[in-house]
Amino acid sequence: MNCNKDSVNHELNLYFDNSATSWPKPEAVYRAAELQMRQMCGNPGRSGHTRMLEADRLIYRTREALAALFKVDDPSRIIFALNATDALNIALKGFLKTGDHVIFTALEHNSVLRPLGTMRRNGLITTTMLPCSLEGYPDLEFLENAYQPQTSLLVINHASNVIGTVAPLRKMIESAHKKGVKVLVDAAQTAGTIDIDIADLDIDLLAFTGHKSLLGPTGTGGLYVKAGIDLKPLREGGTGSQSELDLHPKNMPERLEAGTLNSAGLAGLLEGINFIRETGLDQIREHETALRRSLREQLMEMRQITVYGPEEAAECAGSLSFTIRDTDCGEIGYILENNFGILCRTGLHCAPLAHQAFGTFPGGTIRLSPGFFTKAGDIQFLINAIREIVALTEKG
Amino acid sequence: MATNCYVTFPTIFYAIRAESLLKQKDFTFKMVPVPRSISSSCGTALRCACPDLSKIRQYLADHQTEMESFYQLEEDGFKMPIVKELQSDELQ
Repeated sequence: MNCNKDSVNHELNLYFDNSATSWPKPEAVYRAAELQMRQMCGNPGRSGHTRMLEADRLIYRTREALAALFKVDDPSRIIFALNATDALNIALKGFLKTGDHVIFTALEHNSVLRPLGTMRRNGLITTTMLPCSLEGYPDLEFLENAYQPQTSLLVINHASNVIGTVAPLRKMIESAHKKGVKVLVDAAQTAGTIDIDIADLDIDLLAFTGHKSLLGPTGTGGLYVKAGIDLKPLREGGTGSQSELDLHPKNMPERLEAGTLNSAGLAGLLEGINFIRETGLDQIREHETALRRSLREQLMEMRQITVYGPEEAAECAGSLSFTIRDTDCGEIGYILENNFGILCRTGLHCAPLAHQAFGTFPGGTIRLSPGFFTKAGDIQFLINAIREIVALTEKG
Repeated sequence: MATNCYVTFPTIFYAIRAESLLKQKDFTFKMVPVPRSISSSCGTALRCACPDLSKIRQYLADHQTEMESFYQLEEDGFKMPIVKELQSDELQ
């Protein structure tokens, strides 16, 4: 391809990788994380002095804000984790018992596939993969026939991190509950961009990350655990409570938290949630859907391009994937950054089974994920860049 | 010599929840490190005047706040206090 790869324009740096981590963050997120480290940095739950109490209050407020966002009555049922991967590990390894059978969708991320794969290879569990359509919709008829007497858990990726398809959560949860099966929802791509009413949907376990659409710093995330579900702790250690016992506390949230929490990160996360609350989830969703619609329509105009996923933007969240005929997506990503200052992600996006379902394995796709701070003009610049690249591919 | 009452909590989550709830209702209390004379836990306890304890306990119980134990301490400067754990019939 005749392209000058060295003409880097770092000043432009248009960011289309919000499905990996959101950027920029609201200004208050940066300030709160810094303030927490500079002035308020007591170790939450320990020591007893005023800085510690301030850190504890901050963590409590963050838990309350998440509970309000997800419509959870009892904030103690939300535990903090490093990210969605960590939360999914806590859920899977804490919930599953030897002999259990698990159903998961083909859209799952490696954060689900790998823990399940290890448990399966170790002979602890058996699994069934729920296939999905080319548009990324799980096969609900297959689901009805997939339950076994030992099935204890259904794992659902709320939105594909490859093509953005949003799963029919309510139908799938109702189906699982009819069979007495619990449901773990991976909301890594949806928390903060789609309204998730945990109580109304009757979700059993929900893993989320703080650094994507919740607009917080990396190293934040968590897990909702419905009352009545007791997960075996993945980690044990200091909690600042019941210190005289060599037994991890049974009370939530400490039951599933050990060691010093990321108070600076959680201070930032709280501001991210506040920003979402002040802006309104509906407005965020509307903006991102409009961007996606425009992006998809203009990509579809180029006959050399295949766009994956549902046509209707309102049925999607986050990621949009495409390929250009007879090209290596890694090469296209490289040119987008080096010639146009556009940042995106290329490859398999840690979801190999999804690519097998879409016919994009092993080459992968070019993934574009605008965010709330992406402007219509940014989309136009991106489309013009892709048009130029497509023209170059035609020349060979 | 002063007499104070203390509430301990199973986790710091409930200690902060108690503080947050009581602050909204103008109860008089203070969050303090758990006195070593009542627990070796490194957490936070609620201290209040003993006549207020029963009201505080009821309010917290009505607002889904788990509490662990209740104590009355006779405190005299830096001397070890005289500790009495209060049973539920003493908290009415």
